[in-house]
Amino acid sequence: MISSRFVLKRLLLLVPVLVGVASLVFSILHLSPGDPALTIAGERASEEFVKQVEESLGLNDPIWVQYGRFIADAAQFQFGESFIIQRNTTVREVLVNKLPVTLELAIYGQLIGVFLGIPLGILSAVKQDSITDHLTRIGALAGISVPIFWSGPLLILLFAQVLGVLPTSGRISVLYNVEAIRVTGLVTVDTLIAGEWDMFVSAVRHMILPASVIGVYSMALISRMMRSSMLEVIRQDYIRTARAKGQGAKITVLKHGFRNAMIPVITVIGIQFGGLLGGAVLTETVFAIGGIGTLLVEAIKVGDYPIVQGTVLTFAFLFTLVNLGVDITYSILDPRIEQ
Amino acid sequence: MTAAPDHPADERPPLSERLGVRLRLVGTALFAGVVVTAVSVVAATMLSDPTASVETAFALGSLVFGFGLLGWSGAVALGRGIESMQETLDTQTGWTEPDARRAMARIIGFGLGVMLGAMVVGSVVLGLV
Repeated sequence: MISSRFVLKRLLLLVPVLVGVASLVFSILHLSPGDPALTIAGERASEEFVKQVEESLGLNDPIWVQYGRFIADAAQFQFGESFIIQRNTTVREVLVNKLPVTLELAIYGQLIGVFLGIPLGILSAVKQDSITDHLTRIGALAGISVPIFWSGPLLILLFAQVLGVLPTSGRISVLYNVEAIRVTGLVTVDTLIAGEWDMFVSAVRHMILPASVIGVYSMALISRMMRSSMLEVIRQDYIRTARAKGQGAKITVLKHGFRNAMIPVITVIGIQFGGLLGGAVLTETVFAIGGIGTLLVEAIKVGDYPIVQGTVLTFAFLFTLVNLGVDITYSILDPRIEQ
Repeated sequence: MTAAPDHPADERPPLSERLGVRLRLVGTALFAGVVVTAVSVVAATMLSDPTASVETAFALGSLVFGFGLLGWSGAVALGRGIESMQETLDTQTGWTEPDARRAMARIIGFGLGVMLGAMVVGSVVLGLV
């Protein structure tokens, strides 16, 4: 049973983390070169118009007033309107549209990583130094070593161009209007909720390649971690005792070993999820999926500060939430951690 | 991973004493930040635009403050785990959670001091309000 005090303490820690990230974002944007008012007004705009833009954005106020306003707005998740990328649209609306795209990709990538990585890691540990172990380790090393910008195009070439079994880009076939059935923004979920089976199949087919690309990378790390953790656990005295008392090897490993070996693996899964959110930029670019990662890169390039601020803080918030989940999972797996 | 107290409950110093230690820790760094910023901003205004100097000083202060806050939260959240990991791996580096918290509190104080110094110099001396 998780104590509410433990969860409350972890939730309270989110506050300094988010204020810290907000301060870093504010300072980096103010220290970086470029004038947002000039970017909005355009290079040829008159000085008077640029001043008007500055006035309307509050850039004429002293910097501490801007900082205070930014922190107060960030606490309410208000980042104003996008300057350039989607003019007259609030950052919140932009994020609501784009975030599910990246989240869906990261979730499926992580699921592939977890559901393949954990069994492979256990298998590799239980059959240490066998052919299975060597093959799994080679696969894991290859998965870690191959960059996404190389494996992505190769998979497209094989499955889309040569075999012609999977689509090359996008989230769903252009024949379907997914916006009409939007509920969560996750196409695979929305199509299921709407009961549109053909659309669901199309969404899944579009998700297979990008999710596999990031999933393989995640799987490689998880299986390596699971192997070393499991090897350490199965050498413990309590495992030997369980075996000496006549318990079967499978039950001993899965019932007594698995739970304890999972603790460091959970850490890796938590960190990986944050990495997947940030690393989805490459996958989104290769597979032409317009998610939050691509949006952030574009916003930095054109100097759309509200989008940059909103996106970075959203990433930080999601990352800290995932780590909160990791901490809670720790305390479920090993209640001593709460003490 | 709830942090265990530094002292057993009956040996802990009174609240006022503990508060005093913490205030001194952050306060001295804050004072240093204010002084360093005041001197550097006044010196910088002689060479460049006063508004730009104040804005850069404030932004640098918020950078330090943000870094300190993240470091402090990291030490509180993961400190005990890192200590245990060092013990398990037998790689004692002398890093401890209370030391990390204190160091980060000083950085937070210094960052706040820089921000405060920039604010005071900007509004009182240069009249940038």
